[in-house]
Amino acid sequence: MELHIRDVSKTYPNGVQALRDVTLTIPVGMYGLLGPNGAGKSTLMRILATLQEPDTGAIHLGDLDVVQQKDAVRQTLGYLPQEFGVYPKVSAEALLDHFAILKGIPDKKARKEVVEALLRQTNLWEVRRQKLGGYSGGMRQRFGVAVALLGNPKLLIVDEPTAGLDPAERVRFLNLLSELGENSAVILSTHIVEDVSELCTRMAIIDRGEILLEAEPLGAIEEMRGRIWRSVIEKGALAEVERAHAVISTKLLAGRTVVHVFSDAAPDPGFEPAEPDLKDVYFSTMAGHIGRRREQPEPEMAP
Amino acid sequence: MKFREIFRFEFAYQVRRLQTWLYFAALVVVAFLFVRGNHLADALYADFYLNSPFVIASVTVFAGLFWFVVAAGVAGETAARDVETGMHPLTYTAPVSKAEYLGGRFLAGFVLNALILLAVPVGVMLAVYSPGVEAEVVGPFRPAAYLTAYGFIALPNAFVGSAIQFAWAALSRRAIASYVGSVLLFFVAYGGMFFAAIFLERQDLAALLDVFGHVFITSDLILGWTPIEKSTRLIELEGPLLWSRLVWFGIALGTLAFTYLRFRFAHPTASHRWSRLTRRREAHAPTPPLNDIARSMISMPQFRQTFGSATQLRQTLAIAWDSFRTIAKSRGGLVLLAAIAALAVVVMPENMSNMGTPLLPRTEYVLTFLTARLTNPLTPWVITPLLIVFYAGELVWRERKAGLGEITDAAPVPEWVSFLGKFLGLGLILVAWMALLTMAGVLVQTRMGYDDFETGLYLRVLFGLQLPEYLLFALLALVVQGLVNQKYVGHLVALIAYASILFASSLGIEHNLLVYGSAPDWSYTDMRGFGASLGPWLWFMLYWAAWALLLAVVARLLWVRGMEGGLRVRLQLARRRFTRPTAGAAAAAVGLVLTLGGFIFYNTNVLNEYTTASGKMERRAEYERRFGQYANVPQPRLTGTNLHVEIYPRRREVEIRGAYQLVNGAAAAIDSIHVATDSGVETGAVAFDRPVARVLADENLGHRIYVLEEPLQPGDSLRLSFEVHFKPKGFRNSGGGASVAANSTYFKNDWLPAIGYQPRRELFKPGERRAHGLAPRPLFPSLADAEAGQDITGEAGDDLTGAERIAFEAVVGTDGDQTAVAPGALRRTWTEGGRRYFHYATDTPIGNEHRFFSARYAVHEEQWNDPSSGSGRVVAIQVYHHPRHAANLNRMLRSVRASLDYYTRAFGPYPYGYIRLIENPGRGIGAHADATTIDYTEGFSRFNPADDSRGLDLPFAVMAHEMAHQWGVPYAFAEGAPLLSESFAWYAAMGVVEETYGREHLQRLRRFFRQPSPIPPIRQSVPLLRAMDPYAAYRKGPFALFALSEYMGEERVNLAFRRLIEKHRLGAPPLATSLDLYRELQAVTPDSLRYLLHDLFEANTFWELETERATAEQTDAGAWQVTLRVRARKVTVDPAGVETEAPMDEWVPIGVFAPTEKQGADFGETLYLQMHRIRSGEQTITVTVPREPSDAGIDPYHLLIDLERFDNVEEVKIES
Repeated sequence: MELHIRDVSKTYPNGVQALRDVTLTIPVGMYGLLGPNGAGKSTLMRILATLQEPDTGAIHLGDLDVVQQKDAVRQTLGYLPQEFGVYPKVSAEALLDHFAILKGIPDKKARKEVVEALLRQTNLWEVRRQKLGGYSGGMRQRFGVAVALLGNPKLLIVDEPTAGLDPAERVRFLNLLSELGENSAVILSTHIVEDVSELCTRMAIIDRGEILLEAEPLGAIEEMRGRIWRSVIEKGALAEVERAHAVISTKLLAGRTVVHVFSDAAPDPGFEPAEPDLKDVYFSTMAGHIGRRREQPEPEMAP
Repeated sequence: MKFREIFRFEFAYQVRRLQTWLYFAALVVVAFLFVRGNHLADALYADFYLNSPFVIASVTVFAGLFWFVVAAGVAGETAARDVETGMHPLTYTAPVSKAEYLGGRFLAGFVLNALILLAVPVGVMLAVYSPGVEAEVVGPFRPAAYLTAYGFIALPNAFVGSAIQFAWAALSRRAIASYVGSVLLFFVAYGGMFFAAIFLERQDLAALLDVFGHVFITSDLILGWTPIEKSTRLIELEGPLLWSRLVWFGIALGTLAFTYLRFRFAHPTASHRWSRLTRRREAHAPTPPLNDIARSMISMPQFRQTFGSATQLRQTLAIAWDSFRTIAKSRGGLVLLAAIAALAVVVMPENMSNMGTPLLPRTEYVLTFLTARLTNPLTPWVITPLLIVFYAGELVWRERKAGLGEITDAAPVPEWVSFLGKFLGLGLILVAWMALLTMAGVLVQTRMGYDDFETGLYLRVLFGLQLPEYLLFALLALVVQGLVNQKYVGHLVALIAYASILFASSLGIEHNLLVYGSAPDWSYTDMRGFGASLGPWLWFMLYWAAWALLLAVVARLLWVRGMEGGLRVRLQLARRRFTRPTAGAAAAAVGLVLTLGGFIFYNTNVLNEYTTASGKMERRAEYERRFGQYANVPQPRLTGTNLHVEIYPRRREVEIRGAYQLVNGAAAAIDSIHVATDSGVETGAVAFDRPVARVLADENLGHRIYVLEEPLQPGDSLRLSFEVHFKPKGFRNSGGGASVAANSTYFKNDWLPAIGYQPRRELFKPGERRAHGLAPRPLFPSLADAEAGQDITGEAGDDLTGAERIAFEAVVGTDGDQTAVAPGALRRTWTEGGRRYFHYATDTPIGNEHRFFSARYAVHEEQWNDPSSGSGRVVAIQVYHHPRHAANLNRMLRSVRASLDYYTRAFGPYPYGYIRLIENPGRGIGAHADATTIDYTEGFSRFNPADDSRGLDLPFAVMAHEMAHQWGVPYAFAEGAPLLSESFAWYAAMGVVEETYGREHLQRLRRFFRQPSPIPPIRQSVPLLRAMDPYAAYRKGPFALFALSEYMGEERVNLAFRRLIEKHRLGAPPLATSLDLYRELQAVTPDSLRYLLHDLFEANTFWELETERATAEQTDAGAWQVTLRVRARKVTVDPAGVETEAPMDEWVPIGVFAPTEKQGADFGETLYLQMHRIRSGEQTITVTVPREPSDAGIDPYHLLIDLERFDNVEEVKIES
């Protein structure tokens, strides 16, 4: 079941335009939505999760109109918000059971099986009888996933899920997601590039409410081949390099600065070709060397 | 510096919030409504200014109560916002001391609250100066009046309230806890006050515990201040008010100190004892180790989601159960409810008393303590709606508060399912609450040794009648929370909704169709059952249930789901949610509202006339304007009544055919007859035994005029016949009416036509008359008018009518299983067509006030033989009572017999051949006497004097009092009339009590009379001969007569009454007045006591007698010499409060007593009791007694009227 997003815009009452003519097609599989903080990712996610209304535009999940047929969408939706809490004095098992009823599994036996499977899958089975108030951040996040997975959703929306996780948790969590991506459309919003590069079959880069790039990560990286150049310079020389070249990213390495520059041809003898990765795609897009920003001039910021 | 910044930031933060100003606005509204709703009418009638210090002070107190409960969050937030918002890691680690942090925050809370309370003077001023207030009740603007109220009442309240709320929130780290603190303080303070006042009888202690100034306002000001004082006197910080302020200031400081000591800059962890026990389970669970990824790939079981109605039902139940458990397990949940129920169990038995006498806890009576109408503000059960508001907020915000809002909102649960689930959850809480109350009631009965529990009645009343009202309100509260979408504003709006339900009627909205959840009162008594009260109640409830359904539809449409709280988007969404089933539900609800509303309106306004309180007043004014001109037109006098009454209890109908015998007793011929008809019944044709012409028939005002073709000559008589039909048509806004019910019937003769203009229909309060443009009239005809022989035939309220004496005859028919009672001896009874008939006729004329009863009575009959000198007179004593209400039967009979004995001897023979005691269906506890008949309401049979700790048999005395009325003379309705009725009856009853139970018992009764409750003393008044107030009638009058009998002998006073009765008993004009009695008293009073007679009756005299010191010394002879230093003063007080001292040189008893041996007795054995000549001022008296004294004093038994009750007698100090 594909998700089609057509020309969706959203402006908040305080004048902030959170989304601007967003058009995306999201197939079954893992889909990464990459963007800096405040880019409009969460707004888009909440609109997809039926919790917010777009000002204009249409969204369809297969035959379902997401804006109009909220009830039907919810029946096949899994949603893990960026931030959520739990009832601290309830056990994981009890709360999951409660949500199972809410998600349309009234039969007691089926519910028991589902709850057990999900708790095992999220590795919470041993601690299922403990009060959620005592859970660590990672466990809580896993519990949220368990809730989101209830009812085999055809559309799974996870908003910044790896933010609070330690490295091991994160790996396990992303694996869990990719497993789900085999049958459902999974939309993963994140500001961490690695999340996308490791998992997603398709991705979009969003900034200031606009989709800047929609691509397959591997293809996008391939396109960058030969256009990313690297140089290690002194910190003081950075300003000069920035003036002369299209610097897309810098980072410090042992007291010196590593500069990545976007250029169709070798810019300078001081530069060597770099093996491109998704970060380079991201930064190039943000800087306007590829993608939508390249096609049109920088829009005026709203006052 | 840091302190200042903390204060500044907090203050600035909250003062910019809308919420703060909403509290302010709400308080302005409350103050405004209080002034307009509560005081405006009083001010008009009682002649004090609307902007008087008194009004401002009392509004400050009551609005303060509202503030205290509603705005508790302000101080709570200052204390707990950091933890609640998760800011505390930042603020707690800042280099700020505890004192700076807590001090700054508390001060901000206090200042904010002080600011919010400024709304009260603003509201008062708005109420006083905005349009709609008569200019004459607005006094000059006095800033001091506002400042004193604010400074002495509002500010201290703000401090105490803020401190308590702050402490609770700071220590529990939850802002909401401040509400719990508020409610608790409310109950603790009121409970303590109540306890001190009622159980310990320590008014002083109660005043000390007076946290809000409530006692000060209600007892000191309302009762103690004259209208002039109320208008002008400023409240001062002195006496009990000062002390209570100081006590609570101290408590507040202590609370703050405790908070300071206990507060820690630490991450909130479970710290109290209970959670320490459960800590192990709540501590951080170890994160389970990560399994090998490949191994953990578990395939999900395959199942089908279903979304049919079965699932929705299951979802509803899941949400309901979850909601119930949440509330039930919270601190304010079942624990609090159980605590309140337990408190009720403790408090109720002590409250089940009347005038200090315990009452039997029959279930119907216990239920009156456990239930309260939603619209009733004057009950402790306002706690239930308040808790409902609180619970509704918690439930609507449950998911969002926990941070689960987005997840649950995205779940496939229809809005109506979550709404219905939460409503059912709240409903379950209320069911549990009703169950707790049922248990409380049964426990109360058990504690009091009563075992007839009537469980079915508990269930029917609490679950069938009380629960639906609360459910309706619960739905409203949920809808409000859902619509407002801001928790605390939601609370506020819900509270305002509740307040408008409570005070709608005082704002002039009286129709139950207009006030959510209101309905005519249902009532239940053992005799009547629910009578006809259930039907109307049910119709209104159905009507409101339809509204509730409509509200629920609106809530479903505008329910906020997800992030969109803006009105525009919500309306947009609502349009989308308006699906066919929703539209169907809305249409059904609207349809039901319209049909049920229409049906009710047809009943209340079409079938019956709908009258508001002001409409009723206007009708009375109109009656006077139109027919007042006939007030002095001579009318024939009623001399005989002959009735045929058919009572149909099951159809609730009464048909009366009757005839009056009228005689022209005036000196001139009478050419027209005025007939007043009653608006509660249908009066058919009125026919005369001679040709007449009906010239006017105003059915609305109830007045008809017939002109006789041939005038009625003096001494001639005529016969007037009439038909009266009582048949309720549907029901009224006030309900079904209680007069005629299937189980019991009770009505008075005011259904029958009356002759002449009826002055008693006139408005009589000066303010009401002024408001309707009527000329002022004296409240009561003056004594001078009565003396001048004006026609004062006694047309006033219940107690004073019926002066004319008539022959009465009636045949009364009723259902076959009921007994009907009317005045007169029972001549014959028979059964005809399944109905029973009773023929009653008087053999001696009786007063023209009578009542008719029909019920399944148990009848007790016995005879009393007049013991006096073989007269052979026999009086039949008959008691008609409810079969289950026989507990006091023997006591009442004993009183009746003792009264017959004593009164026959003292005042002359009982004039009738029978005396009847009839239990009267209805609530209330009073007794009432007509000629040959004493009827008592069901409550009277609940008296349980056996458990009276005072050892006083009050019902015996009350019955003797009613019996004494049988010897009362017909009197003119004029000033001083109560002296001839009530004062005489109590004086006489004291004689019966003494004769039956002895002197000591009489002293107990008199001690009860001296208590300020239920009849508080009135100092500023006219002399007894002219007084009409209850204190004069029921207390001072009997005391004066008793004092006289003690000074000059009971026989003399009784002789005076005997002579009065002989002269006036037949009721021939001119009727007796207080002056007739006074002349008889003068005739029997020796010259030496004329001064006392004068002081007691002709002047409003108060004695101020005090023993300052009493010492004793043993003489050589072994006797004891007692020296008393006493102070005496005598003043007269006029109605304006002007005191004039009168010189004193008169006989007053001096008494010396041995130590008390028996419990409950005033004193021990009397060692000395003699009259001494006492002068004004201080004097020393020395007497010698044979044994060691314990107490000594002046006027130890309070013969003279002395309002200070405790200073007459002192403990004797022994000097060696």
